[in-house]
Amino acid sequence: MRLIEWLAPTNPCRQFDGNERLFQALKKLDNAAILCVQTKAMSSARKFVQQYGLPPDSADEVLNQGTLIFLRKIEDGGYQFQGHAPSTYLVEIIRLVALSMTRTQRKPHEALENHHDLHDPDVEAAQRQRESADLVRQFLGQMGEPCETVIRLHHIDGYSDEEVVRQGWTRYSTTDSLKIKRSDCMKKLIQIARLWRSTNNI
Amino acid sequence: MHEKIDSNSAIMEEYKQYLNDDADEAERRAAAQVMEGLAGLRLEAKVQAVAAERAALRRRIVGRRIFISLVALALLAGATYVIMRKVETPAPPPSEQQQEPNAPLPPEKTEEKKAVNPIAQLRPEERLPNPRYPAPETTMIRGDEDENKVRKAMLDQVWYTDYPLTGLKTSQAFVKADENLKKRDFTAAYLELERLEGQMANNDTLRYLKGYCLLEMGEGAEALANFDQIQGRYKAWESQLQWYRGLAMLLADDREKALALFKQLAARVKHPYRRQAEKAVGLLSQ
Repeated sequence: MRLIEWLAPTNPCRQFDGNERLFQALKKLDNAAILCVQTKAMSSARKFVQQYGLPPDSADEVLNQGTLIFLRKIEDGGYQFQGHAPSTYLVEIIRLVALSMTRTQRKPHEALENHHDLHDPDVEAAQRQRESADLVRQFLGQMGEPCETVIRLHHIDGYSDEEVVRQGWTRYSTTDSLKIKRSDCMKKLIQIARLWRSTNNI
Repeated sequence: MHEKIDSNSAIMEEYKQYLNDDADEAERRAAAQVMEGLAGLRLEAKVQAVAAERAALRRRIVGRRIFISLVALALLAGATYVIMRKVETPAPPPSEQQQEPNAPLPPEKTEEKKAVNPIAQLRPEERLPNPRYPAPETTMIRGDEDENKVRKAMLDQVWYTDYPLTGLKTSQAFVKADENLKKRDFTAAYLELERLEGQMANNDTLRYLKGYCLLEMGEGAEALANFDQIQGRYKAWESQLQWYRGLAMLLADDREKALALFKQLAARVKHPYRRQAEKAVGLLSQ
């Protein structure tokens, strides 16, 4: 049975029988939906990478960066479903990302952070979010345990409090005690951010 | 650092719960930045997880392609092997008939044959392919080169021999001889069989292997002597042994005995060497 499953044609889009259903799954950050649009856009990513003279192994990075921007646009409502295939929009974002890499002639992970001439608002928003994410990662490291884990499980990994308690991933045995601790940690995190901003005159 | 605060209403709603009651603008901006950073980390984690899934999917596809290619290659090799065996091997399946040594063939199994060339009577699908190997060079009769050439040409046409011998299972003692016979290195095989004969002089397997080896070396009389000793003893060997006895007779230039034997075999409807025998009868009757 496993061999048959292994041999079966692989199509991550099989479960999404329409563009709207795919879009709704993307809004929920469903892994299969993301994999589906990435699979559809992968050949375009390779094509842009070749067309713009980027290193062939940067296709994955271009795809990942493009996907980040795409998901953010869905999350903040910047991209609304209008009947078109979501992958079409992702391909356009990927083209912009690849183009930005070409202009900067930097390594893929530096492209969005350090390119100030690019005026595309989506790419700029992604760049800002990335900076904030790096800062928060740094602040979480400073806070240490248990705050780092408590915040990560809820805000980054997206687990419900019930699941965290059931799995015993923290020392807190009830959802109430977990919520209280997380609230306390978040307040500390905000104070660290505030101090950093004031130190840097922001 | 950018001052713009994300306007995502969900994020705005969520961070307010972590603000102090007397929170000022600086604290609100810091909280908004933290929530934006957390949202970014969440998306990054999600994209990384999907990238890992994508890599696994790619590995699966590559693995599947390799597997399918290997299976296709194996099937192709198998089909080629089967086709080559069909083209190259005229050897018949083992006979189901048992025959007493030197006994006349049962009359109910015989068919009347016309005097005309039997090969011409065969339907196209029944016609035999040529033998895989030529007959061995035999001792030539001095001064009679034309006759020697005709004899060799006739032997080449009926030299339907095959190894391993039908129905014969060799024990560990015969491994070396067996390997040499498979390689058609008959001299080496003969030397090995000679050595074994010192240890097991009356062994029937040895007799049969030695007879076959001598046959392929062109020693008709000696081959026949070995075949005669085991004739009629083993049902599984018998059909092929009868055919090889006929070839040995031809090698020993005893055409009449050979023709008589081949006629008997050709008359047996189910004899696995019937078609070869018919061909031999046709050639010898010309």
